[in-house]
Formats: sequence, C-alpha cells, structure tokens
Amino acid sequence: MKMKNPIILYSLLLGLTLFSCGEDYLEKTDPTKLVADNFYETETQVAQALNGVYSQLQGIVSSQWQYNEFTTDNTTLHFNIGDRGQGPSLEALEFWQINPSTSNINNLYNSIYEAMVNINTTLAKLENATFDEAAIQQFEGQLKFLRAYYYFHLVQYFGEVIIITEPLETPSEAWSYARQPVDEVYALIESDLNTAVSSLPASYEASETGRVTKGAALSLLGKVYLTKKEYDNAINTLTQVLPLGYALLPSYADVFDPQNKNHQESIFDVQFQGGNELGEHSDFIYTFAPRESEGAVIDFPGQNGGGWNVPTLDIIAAYEEGDLRKAVSIQEGYTNLAGEWVPVPFINKYHHPHTIRGRTDDNWPVIRYADVLLMLSEAINEQSGPTPDAYDYLNQVRQRAGLAPLSGLDQEAFRSAVLKERRLELAFENHRWFDLKRTMTPEALAAFMNAYGAKERSNPTTTRGGIPFSPADYVFEPYEVLFPIPADQIVINEELTQNPGY
Amino acid sequence: MKQNYLIWRQILLLLIALSSLEHAYAQSKTVSGKVTAAEDGAPIPGVNILVKNTETGTVTDVNGDYTISVEDDATLVFSAIGFITQEAVVNERTEIDITLSSDVKSLSEVVVIGYGSQRKADITSAVSVVDIENVKERPIANLTSLMQGQAPGVVVRQTTGTPGEELEVSIRGISSLGAGSNPLYVIDGFPVGTSAGQYINPADIESITVLKDAASTAIYGARGSNGVILITTKSAQADEVRLTFNATYGVQNIPDSRRTQMMNGVEFAQFKKESFEDKIRYFEGREPSIEEVPIDYRYPEQTPYSTDWLDEILNQNASFQNYNVTLGAGKGAIRSLVSVGYLNQEGAVIETGFERFNARANIYGDINENIAVGWNIVGAFTREQFANTAGRDAIIGKALWADPREPVYNEDGTFNDYIGGHDGVFGTSNPVQELKEMERNRNNTNVLTNGFLEFTFLQDFTFKSSVNARLINFRQKEFRPSFLAGQGFDQPPPREAYLREYYSENVNISTDQVLTYTKGLGDHQVSAMVGYSAQEETVKGISASGDDFPNDIVRFLDAAVRVDAGSSEESWSLLAYIGRLNYSFKDKYLVSASYRREGSSRFGANNKWGNFPAVSVGWRLSEEPFMRDFTWLTDLKLRGSWGVTGNNNIGNYRSLSTLNASNYILGSNFVSGQVLSSFPNVNLGWEQSNQVNVGMDLSLLDNKLTFTAEYYNKITNDMLLPIEIPVISGFQSAFSNIGKVENKGLELALGYRTAVNELNLYTNFNIAFNRNKVLEILGENDEIRNGSFYSSYNVSVPGRPIGMIHGFRMLGIFNTEDEIAAWPTQDGAIPGVYKYEDTNGDGVISYDTEDMVEIGNPHPKFVWGFSLGGDYRQFDLNLLITGAQDYDIFRNIEATTLNMDGVFNLLQAGKNRWRSADSPGNGIIATSNTWKWERESNSRYVFDGSHAWVKNITLGYTMPDWKNTRVYFSVDNLLLISNYPGNNPEVNQRGGINPGFDDETYPVPRTFSLGAVLNF
Repeated sequence: MKMKNPIILYSLLLGLTLFSCGEDYLEKTDPTKLVADNFYETETQVAQALNGVYSQLQGIVSSQWQYNEFTTDNTTLHFNIGDRGQGPSLEALEFWQINPSTSNINNLYNSIYEAMVNINTTLAKLENATFDEAAIQQFEGQLKFLRAYYYFHLVQYFGEVIIITEPLETPSEAWSYARQPVDEVYALIESDLNTAVSSLPASYEASETGRVTKGAALSLLGKVYLTKKEYDNAINTLTQVLPLGYALLPSYADVFDPQNKNHQESIFDVQFQGGNELGEHSDFIYTFAPRESEGAVIDFPGQNGGGWNVPTLDIIAAYEEGDLRKAVSIQEGYTNLAGEWVPVPFINKYHHPHTIRGRTDDNWPVIRYADVLLMLSEAINEQSGPTPDAYDYLNQVRQRAGLAPLSGLDQEAFRSAVLKERRLELAFENHRWFDLKRTMTPEALAAFMNAYGAKERSNPTTTRGGIPFSPADYVFEPYEVLFPIPADQIVINEELTQNPGY
Repeated sequence: MKQNYLIWRQILLLLIALSSLEHAYAQSKTVSGKVTAAEDGAPIPGVNILVKNTETGTVTDVNGDYTISVEDDATLVFSAIGFITQEAVVNERTEIDITLSSDVKSLSEVVVIGYGSQRKADITSAVSVVDIENVKERPIANLTSLMQGQAPGVVVRQTTGTPGEELEVSIRGISSLGAGSNPLYVIDGFPVGTSAGQYINPADIESITVLKDAASTAIYGARGSNGVILITTKSAQADEVRLTFNATYGVQNIPDSRRTQMMNGVEFAQFKKESFEDKIRYFEGREPSIEEVPIDYRYPEQTPYSTDWLDEILNQNASFQNYNVTLGAGKGAIRSLVSVGYLNQEGAVIETGFERFNARANIYGDINENIAVGWNIVGAFTREQFANTAGRDAIIGKALWADPREPVYNEDGTFNDYIGGHDGVFGTSNPVQELKEMERNRNNTNVLTNGFLEFTFLQDFTFKSSVNARLINFRQKEFRPSFLAGQGFDQPPPREAYLREYYSENVNISTDQVLTYTKGLGDHQVSAMVGYSAQEETVKGISASGDDFPNDIVRFLDAAVRVDAGSSEESWSLLAYIGRLNYSFKDKYLVSASYRREGSSRFGANNKWGNFPAVSVGWRLSEEPFMRDFTWLTDLKLRGSWGVTGNNNIGNYRSLSTLNASNYILGSNFVSGQVLSSFPNVNLGWEQSNQVNVGMDLSLLDNKLTFTAEYYNKITNDMLLPIEIPVISGFQSAFSNIGKVENKGLELALGYRTAVNELNLYTNFNIAFNRNKVLEILGENDEIRNGSFYSSYNVSVPGRPIGMIHGFRMLGIFNTEDEIAAWPTQDGAIPGVYKYEDTNGDGVISYDTEDMVEIGNPHPKFVWGFSLGGDYRQFDLNLLITGAQDYDIFRNIEATTLNMDGVFNLLQAGKNRWRSADSPGNGIIATSNTWKWERESNSRYVFDGSHAWVKNITLGYTMPDWKNTRVYFSVDNLLLISNYPGNNPEVNQRGGINPGFDDETYPVPRTFSLGAVLNF
C-alpha cells in the first residue's frame, strides 16, 4: 500500500470522528430517576408528589413515641446493661438528659423539615397548575393540613421555630431565615387549617381512604385552639366534627385491629400495609416488645423486640378495676419459651398476627373520635366548668371502656379526670407529652415529672442488672418543657438562637 | 477454584525442572566474534571484554572483532562507554557475536508524558520516573506498591493489609475538599480513572512516570488536578527472543509486636467484678458484699475459658505465591510479547484471600516505512474472598472486644455460636465461625485493550489514531447462614439468613486522534501536537437481596422468603481538544506550552466546558559556554512552570435535582409517590487548580550524583463540595462550587551511584514537605465538619489544614467532687471522668462541640523514602525504607476497647483505670462508674503516627552459568519503628478530607519470601 496523499485521508478520518461526537455526546441524565425540573406538571404527577408527602408521615409517626410517650410517665425502658450504645440518645430521652447534641432530637427536627420541602415545592408548583380546579383545591387542602400538622408539632416541641413556606432557589437563602414568635407559627397553622377545612371533603371514595378529610382538619384545628386556650373557638370547631358521622366503636380492641382499618372512629390514621413485599409495612411491636422475648411475644423463632417504650408501673396502676382497655393496651409480662413468667410489661395495642417477619399491618392512629370527645369535654370544662355536655362526652368514652360514668366533680377534679381519661384512652398514641404540656405550667410539669422520676427510681419498672441510677437521671427542670434546637443547626447557622437553659 | 490454578502451577514448575537438565562441562577453548551497534549495525571498536569474575580480558579491534581464550562455563562481559553492558554465557559456542544497545539512560533517556514522550533532558515540568528495576522483585500483589518510597511528593500508603489491595496514592497533598484527591491512572495511553485497579500484573510493567505539576498534567484537563500516573506495559525488544520465568513464594504473619493485647478471661472477669463493686461504693457509699456481684463474676479465678480472639482469626504463615512467564520475540518488523501470571495471596486473617490470573498479549509491527500498527490486550480474572474488616463492628474489631471468657469450640467440637450476649457483655457471632461459615466472594473479569494505527508522512508529521476499551464484569455474593449469631444483646442463633448479590458491568471506551510534527532546524528544535479525545463510561448494575431462607443449603435468591432487587445505570462522557508546542534553542533554552479544552457531562448546563492552559520554560545552564570549565558538572537545568488543571471527580448527575420513589397506601392500595432527593444546581462547574512549579535538576561527576529539587504552590478554587446547609431548606447538604485550598511544598531527591572494583552501589533518598491550608470555604458556612460527637471530628476551616482532628482537650481525670466543683461546669461529671478544658471560657463545658478545639494534625510534616542497593559479584542487595514524621491519628477503637461500661473486653491497659482517688490509675483511663465525659471526641485518643518502616529487604544471587538465573530472598514490612499503638500508622479509615482515623482494620502482615527468575 503506497499513500499518494495521506493528509487528505487522515483529515477525513479525523473529521469523521469529530462529527460522530457532537455536543449531545455530553448530555447525560440519570436514567434511573425522575428529574424535578420536568415534574409536578400533570395531575398524576402532583398526586404522586402528594403521595410522597403522605409517605413521609410513616417514618415520623414511627419514631414519635420517643418524644411523646417515652419522655413521660407513660413509658420507660428495659435497661440493657449489655448494650449502652443508646446511652447518649434513647436513654437520654428517658432520663431527661437531653442536650443540643442528642441525636434523636436532631432526627426529629430534620425529618419534619425534610418533609416540609416536599409540601412547599408541591404547593408552589400548584399555583401555576392548569388541570382541574377542584382537584387543585383538594391537593392544596391536604398539603396545607399536613404543613399545619408539622408546624403544630414543631411549635409544641421547640417553641419558636423557623417558618418556611416556599421552596428555596439556592442553598444560600437558607441562612436568611430566623426563628419566628410562637404566635406567628400559630397564625400560619390556623390559616392553613382553615384552608383545609374549606377545601376538603368529609369523606372519599373507598379507593382514596386514608387521605385527610374535613373532619381531620376540624379536629386538628380544635386541638390547636385548645392548646392556645381559646376555648370558644375550640368548642365551636370541635362541635362541627360531631355531625360528620364518626362514632366510637363498641369494642376498644377493634379500634386497633388491622382487620378493621379506617373504621368509623378513625379520623386520621397514617396508613401502613403488611403481608407483602411493597415496603409499606409498619413494625411498631418490633420496637416495643421485650428484648429478651425470643419469639414468645412476636411469633417468629428467636424474634426479640427492642425493649423500648415499656409501660411504667405507674400507668399500669392508673387503670381502674374493670377497665376493658387495660388488657388491650398493655401486657404486664409474658411467658418465655422455658414456660417462665417474665414480668417485663409491653405495649400490646400494636401487637397483631402477621405473616412476614418484620412487616406488620398496623396503622398508626393520629386522630380518632374518642380524642375529639375528650377535647370537647376538656374545652367545655375550662370554659364553663363540668356541664352536662362535658360529662356526656367524657362518659361516652368511659362507658365504652366498661367503666361507670363520672358525676359530681368540681372543675379541678373534672380537669384531672379528663387528663387521666386521655392518658388511658389514648395511651401510647403519642398524646401524653403534649397533653401534659397543655395542662400544666412548666413549674407544675417539672414537679410532676420529678415526682414520677422519684417513683421510678425507688421502684423501677424493670430490672437494671445491678446498675444503680445516676444522680442526673430523672431530674426535670422547667426549661425542659421545650426541646433544644439541635446543635448541628446552630453550628451551621450561628444566628440561630437556642432555647433558654440549654 | 484452586484446582484450576494448580494445573497452571504444575506446568510452571515443570519448566523449572526442565531447565535444570542442562549441564555445562568446563573445558578450555578459543572464542571469537564481532561486536556491533544495535542502532546501525556498525562495528564497535574498543569494547572491553572480560571473563566474569576474573582478570582475564581483551578489547575489540577497529572492525569490532575479538578473540579470547576461555572455559565452557565462563561468562563474557561486554562493556563500552555509551552502551549498555551485556553478558554472554559461553557454553559450547566458539563464535559469539554481540549487539550492544546504546545506553539511552545516560545520553538521552526518553520519558513517557501525556500523549507522547520527551527526552528527559528537555523536560521543563515536574515529572518523576519510578525506577522499576530496583523494586520489581518484591512480593507484591498490586502495582501501586511499586511506587512506595520511590518519588518525592508521591505518597503511597498501605492503609490496610487486605490481600491484593490497591494502595492509597496521593500526589502533593489533599487539594480538593469534595472531589477526591486520587491521581488519574493512564495505562498505555488510556485514562482508566482514579484507581489502578487490581487487574494489572506488576510483572508486566515496563515503566511508571508520575506527572506532578500542572504543566505536565494540564493536557489531561479536568482530570489532572491530583497528578497523573502513566503506566507503560512491557513489549518485546527488537531482534531478541526471550523467555523469562519468575516464581515467588512467601509466608505472611502479623508480628506479635503489632497485635493488640486484650485482657484474658480471668482479667476481664476481675474487671467486671470490680466495676460492680466500684459502682456500689460510689453511688451508694458503702462496701459491697460479694453476693451483690453477679454470680458469673464473683470468682474471676474460676473463669473456665480464656480465648484470645485476635489470635484465633489470624492465619499462621499465610502463603503468598506468584508465578509469571513472559515470552517476547522481536523479529524484523514484528515484535510480540505474551505473558501469563498467577498470583495467590492468602490473607493474614483466616478465610480471606486474593487470586489473580492474568494473560497479556501485544504485537507491534511496521507495515511499511510509513505505517505502524499495534495492538495490546490484557485479560485478568480476580477472585477475592473478603470479609468485612473495617471498624469496631467488623471482624477485627469484634475479635478485640468479644468476651474472652468464651471458648471457640464447645466440648463436642462444634462452634460456640454466640459469644457474650449475657452477663451484661455485648454479644457477637463467634468471629472464627463467622469467617469460616460466611460465604463472601467477589469476582472481577477485566479486559483492557488498545489498538493504534500510526502514519508518518512528509518526513516530520506523525498521525496516530488509537482506540481504547476496558470491560469489567464484577460479581459479588455474600451469604450469611442462619446459624450465625447476630451482633448485640439477645441475638443468639438462629437468625434470619440473608443473601446479597451484586453484579455490574462497566464499559469504558476512548479514542484519541493525535497529529505530531517534529522538526530540527540547526539550533532550533520544534515539536508540535494537536489532537482530539473522546471518552465515555457506562456502569450498569443489578443488586438483589434475599432474606429468610428455609434452609442454609440452597443459597440462591429463589430460595428466599423475601426478595428485594434493583437495577441501576449511570454514565459520563467527555470531549477534549488538545494541543502542545515544544521549542528548544541550542538545547539550552526550552519552552513548552499546552492547552486543553474539555467538555464534561457531569457539569451544569451553564458550565459544561472548561479551558486548561499551561506553559513551562527551562534553561540548561550546563550547556552554556561559561559553565564548560566545571567538568564535574554533568547537567544543570533550571525550570519553571504554570498551569491550570481541573477535577471532575464528583460523581454523575450532581447538577440535577432528582426525585426518589417514596410510596404510600391509600384505600388499602399501593400508590406510588415521589419526594425530592437533592438540591438542583445548574451552575455546578469546574473545580480548578492553578499550580506554579520551579525546579532544578543537577547531576555531577558523570551522573554519579544526581539531585532534583522542586517547589510548588497549588491553589484549588471553586471546589465541588457538599456543604452542610440549614435543614429548613429540606436538605442537610447541597453541592456547590465553593472554597479555596492551597498546597505548597518542597520536594528533594538525591541519588548517588558508584562502583568500587566489583562493588556497585546506589542509593536514593527523597523527602517531601507539603503544607496544606484551607484559604476559604464560604463566608456563612465556613467550616466542614465530619464525624460525630462520640468518635472524632475532622474539621476544615480557613487558615488551617484540611480535616484537622477536633475534640475536647483532655487535661486529666477528676479525682474528687471538690475538683469537679472547682472546675467549670461539666454537667453530670463524677470523680474518675475526664477533665476537659473550657476553651471558650464561659464557665461551662457544654455537651456539644462548642468547647471542642483542634487536638490533632493528621498531615505529616514530611514524608520520605530511602533506598539502598548494591551488588558484589553474584550477590545483590536492595533495601527500602519509608517514613512519615509528625502527624496525628485518632485511635477511635479505644473508645470501644477502653469503653469502661464493661460491655466489651478491654485492652490490658484497662487495668490502669481510675478506681478511686486513692487508686487513680495511670491518669489516662477513666472510671467504670459512668459513660459520660469519657467517650466524647477528646485528645486522649490522639496518638503520634510518626514512623520509619523497613518496607523491603531483598538479597539476590545470580548464577551466571545457569543462564543468569537469579534467586532471591525478600522480607516485606520487616521492621516498623513507631510509638503508635495500633498495627499500622498508615491507616486512613475515613479517607479523603477526613484523615487520621483508626477504628481498627485489616492488619498489615510481614512477609518472608523466596523467589527465582529464570531466563531461557
């Protein structure tokens, strides 16, 4: 082969390769994922974004026991001398040694704002949506309910918090936000809930069950007013729930039975589904069952529980004789594989047979009708004392529990009776911490918690394996009614203020 | 698997046996012949010919002819100035013609550079060449080991002892805060990425060149920031047929001096007993009765078993075997080489190991005087039996903390299958059983191939078109049978068995078109290059997990009760236009300039393209007339360079905001949902480094003494960083182009070689000082903090080096309540806990990072390498020592092995803990009464990592009458001189910008090996 004029040939070759790789050679997008820029356009896409928002509730309610039950007189832990890895985190919550570095507080704060961005982004995109107006309104109502739900939690846990209602364009904008007064937070919550009340239907067709309804929005708004001690508003709002068709189920056990999900008493449940590979299961009992039960409680070979959120001797003793709810809510121990009785109590409410290990079918009850009745009873008593209406709502709940109706109490005694009824009726449903905060001053709450702590110290619910309590355990000071703002956030943004005391 | 390879070993051993059949009989006779030059075939007059190991000799005449009287078993040594010395064994021959190749090393050594090669004398940038000759016979599994201690500024660390592992290589410090600091590896012109991989056989390597400054790496543009390592594989020599066989066998052990010493069974039980008693004494203020101590610890001396778990999982005399056969043939226009190799390295930890089977073939040919073609293919199959070894929850960590009061085996010979998990001791699977019973392996099939076509035309032009491709198939399988216990309390077997399978396929294709022009016009030498390059890589994977198996026999997904699976795909691409111009005048004044314009798929729409220019100049003073009088001066060159490079190593799709599936249930039906997974950033662009380098190359006394010095200053801008952002944005971090980091330093290399009679000696010493400093991060977020409160923090802040170790400054141990009261508030402190410094002076040591300060610097002041070699008659000796000075390591494992909760076994040192004011221990180890104020990141866990490590000594013996067969004895990692308490001061478990962290990992063994090289 003899080349006469190789340059021409080589130029051609070079040219060919150049043409074969144009600019689009550099265009690469992730084939395995959706890209946000092109999303939130159609009704289906917005529906999926809303489903995503709902799904984030699953994680949040699954760990909320740590903050709302475990910290209170309702539950404690089965002390694990062989694994103190939770010393700085879960144990710190139980023993009130919370500080700004406590990782679980950080998780709580992060998980709520990580859900918030999806609400705000979807709401922002909805503003320019062109599909069916009715659908847009329903989407907006649900999103705003959920935003209010999260802010209501934030304000109760942390007091003043950062309000963010728009998605950010650039990361640096995130530094320009400061904590807002509690009133501002409540103003947003009320505004969002009012939108939800006016735009949401009372119910959905069967295939949509589980979405937020008007009843849920009214109930939550009622609770907001009750918390703010605006009793008139609370009564007016909660009364509007009564004609919506909710009722107490005859049997307390049925309320929690997964065979019976989204029943007449349920106003808002976070949905889970077990028995399949879809990944939407719950696993509450796996956290709550005794940690040495080895299949004696959760019916799979060798299966232990986490041993967390253990009902205290205090709550066990609080049930009146004949209270049908006690056995549903609590087991005081279990018979182990060797046939011995082990006196480690556990929460029984979320303990149901399931077919696949680790994948239970239990929903998490967020708002149910009994809660509404008790709130009404509480609001009326605060407003006008124990009126017949107040007694009626309270006694409806007591009757279902197989207990005699109450009568003849003064306002103070009635207040205690409602608080106690809430504790037992709504036990382990993450109400206790907010109920205590709502009904007591910080000083009274501190005295209450210290009294409970002294009891637990002198007669612990479970064995401690020979390890004495530390002097700092169960010392509650009034500033601790608010959780600390996580240290991680303050390290990033020095402008962010900390709650007093921490 | 092993049996397949046994066959290969048999064949190789047979070859050795055959070679020993040849025998030589000594007999005197006359030998004659002609010596010619390899280049032009011209006869060489004046060649010295010496009978080896005698004084007998002669010289060639003007026609290159010689005659000499010798014995059959003699070896003739042919030497002449400017030529490579050659030896020939006489045997039966009476006529021996010899061709001598010119010694390019001394005259005009050519060095491989990016997209070409250059005379060493003409180089004006910072380039180091690894002298493969001196390191090639170490028992190594990965080519990165070849670079240990060889070039200043090239830091090669063996961070773990995992068999077959690629070492960590960094060039001129950590320059990026977010995009990694690994260099680019280029194998035979093919940029394969920031990992050398495990598939290249070190025996196949001809040369390694390290490009260090921007002027040399800018031609690689957005991948040049961290330096470039050019690897050239062997090809056959012209007019030569050579068969080489190389075999190495070694044994590896973890030296006793580098094994962590834990408490034995009795000691641990004694500790537990005391800790129960001490708690009662402190918290209840009374003397405990013996009945209050749990029964298991009441009588420590009656502890029935004592197991040293670390000893149990270490392999005694783990074998290292390596065999290579290389056949090279150059005949006329065609040169071809074939090599096969087999490596089998057992792990120093039982049931771990690495095997590699390699085959390489290449062929080069000149079709006519204008056209040359070449093709190179390497195939490798590697198989690794791995274990999870990094961190306290992995196998080495477990072996330290597992309850020593438990036996490995039950009385009936079965495994004791749950260690601890009762009596308040953390539980784990039996480490020995776990290693033996878990099925964990990785297979890697690699094919790398390059082909090129080269046209030379119009005399001075060369056009080279090349195509490179690499295919990788990777498969990993992990099965954990149900009869292994879990970790933690209440985790006895049976647990759920699980299976994890992963499979991926990687296709990487690149093409280069390069046109070169070289012209010499009197005093002017010009060479120019323009080119075009494109590359694309796609990785596809499938991963699946199966949980809950009805039996442990069928270990496949179908057998699992629950199965999860997913598939993935990602790819990136780049396009680049390159150019370079070299000009020299009178061989004295040298100028070079290069330019690359590169586009990458990884960056935001607004910033896809980047420009990477570089220039360098050199002045060879030694060529100046006024320097001629200094006859001792062989060469002196001053040079300076500047260039811009980039770093695109940020992963794919970072500029996009993507959504993740997050589903829900409505109306008892599954509904799909989407949530945001990352913050978008369309402006995401190039990280750029500006680097200035000045250097000097000096050689004296006919190259006997050489000295190179480099000073550099590299500033990296606009780094691609995941910055922590307030979570109110919805995300905890986002990628951004921020920050500025400076690395400046000095590199010195000194070499000396001499010959005294029959003794040849050489020595090299190199040392590098790198100073790293963060100049800027982001005004409102001016630190990068990684780590956690209960381990350690690596913090990067402006004005300080990257990743400094932060924590409380531990000042001692509180002895009494009074001392605590007198000290700034440490909430919850009791006597026996650490006393921390109130660094912000607010009277409170708050339980967060506020009082944490710098407690350690993980960057060595300097890193050095020293090698010494020599030969005397048939003996040769090589020594390699590496070291690093003045840097800190956070020994995190001690937060576990001296965790005073008593849930883990303790270091021997735990006996010296604080027990009371009267028995305060050694002042370092806290009380067992609490956990607070003990395990937070603090200075107590910081140790000096300074060390000198005798990495290798090799003693060789060459048998001239046995075709120059060489046998050698070699020791790797013979001696470590260091005060560091861990196994390996080169540990770097977090890596990247979080250096200096040791949570215990695979220990580094010492290896003794024997080997032989046979030539046919």
